[in-house]
Amino acid sequence: MSEGSPLSSLTRLGAFAVLPAGVVLILVGLVSIESTDGTLIRFANALLTSFTFVSFILLLTLFVYGDARKRPIAPLLGMFMSVLLGVGMTVFFLSQGELLMEDNGSVRAQALSNLIRLATTVLGMGMAVMVVAGMLFASLMNTPPRAIQFEEE
Amino acid sequence: MEEATQAFVFFWVAGLFVVMGAMLAFFSKVNWQRRLGGALFGLGVLSLMLTPWTLSFSPSSAFGHLLGSLIGPAVLLAVGLYQIAFSGHVPVGRLSRTDRNIGVAMVVVGVLWLEAMHWWVLTPTYPAEVNRYWYIFWPTMLLGVLVCSSATYAIVGLVGEQRQQEQRLMLVSASLAIILMLLGSLFDGPNVDHERFATELLFASADIFGVMVGAAVAVLLFAVVLAFYESQQPVPKRLDPPNQDQLEKASHIIAQHVGGEGEDE
Repeated sequence: MSEGSPLSSLTRLGAFAVLPAGVVLILVGLVSIESTDGTLIRFANALLTSFTFVSFILLLTLFVYGDARKRPIAPLLGMFMSVLLGVGMTVFFLSQGELLMEDNGSVRAQALSNLIRLATTVLGMGMAVMVVAGMLFASLMNTPPRAIQFEEE
Repeated sequence: MEEATQAFVFFWVAGLFVVMGAMLAFFSKVNWQRRLGGALFGLGVLSLMLTPWTLSFSPSSAFGHLLGSLIGPAVLLAVGLYQIAFSGHVPVGRLSRTDRNIGVAMVVVGVLWLEAMHWWVLTPTYPAEVNRYWYIFWPTMLLGVLVCSSATYAIVGLVGEQRQQEQRLMLVSASLAIILMLLGSLFDGPNVDHERFATELLFASADIFGVMVGAAVAVLLFAVVLAFYESQQPVPKRLDPPNQDQLEKASHIIAQHVGGEGEDE
């Protein structure tokens, strides 16, 4: 195992995860993209939708947490408020004219479109994780077992 | 049935089935609930995939069409990788060399199928133009492969020993993703314009970043809610220290068991 502090390991991991993709995006941007209009809108819509959806999923996981905690109401209420906050912020920002609206005619249509786009993003990332994890696992399982080398006494 | 009701039943209720079914199947400890979760998940996915026929009037049915278009390569990749992995050095239930070769062929066909969706005539087209969600899916997947491969390269280097083969494999997959993204941004496919692909690549990165930030904030809020709830709980009642009688009884029992004068073996 490599030596190093947890912080430097984390920094290295973050750099490896982000830098190659960042460099490719810059290259693609220099070569082929004429306008970056709409990128911030996509980011904001994805953020709001993801926050609301993940809050909803975490609200559901509280039912499992409740099995070990005599079914408390307070955390359920807390996460329900979080979901409501997400829905409220989404509706509020989508209602501000052109701020977050794309090619949809109404707030409801835009919100539903955001949700389907989130599902597509999750599908794409899921396939990517499946391919990379599957390749890694297949390679690990096909590596011949190594003999332990003892140092000569 | 009204169009709005149809869309609600066949798309949104089906989507809820997928989410609830996956949650039940993963988290429930009761066997029948897990089976019910699996059934709900399958029913939901099937209903979503049938939307090009059940909700042909709705733009959302393009998502169902994309799901149906991806089921072939996804199954080939998943089964192929499974065959390769379990024909390796597994102690029990090892698959044969023929299974391994079939697995390799399935992975190759799966990858070529996905490539043909961009570079050949197999692009998901619905109803008469390229499926709008394909434009989101494909750049997202390529970016995902790049990010996952390069992160895994670093993780394998950090926690593994003599794992150069795995690191090389991750380098190959990351390089392949980079090449495909650059080629897609420079050259037109038969159905996908290179400028559109490049723009969608940028949007996909915004989507992924937005999703990650939104999810992180939700998880942080979840942690705060739980920590706050736990901090409000009353401290458990402390027991009184044992009295003399209890101490003598305990020492008597201990002496019986650790004194070495108990039952003969």
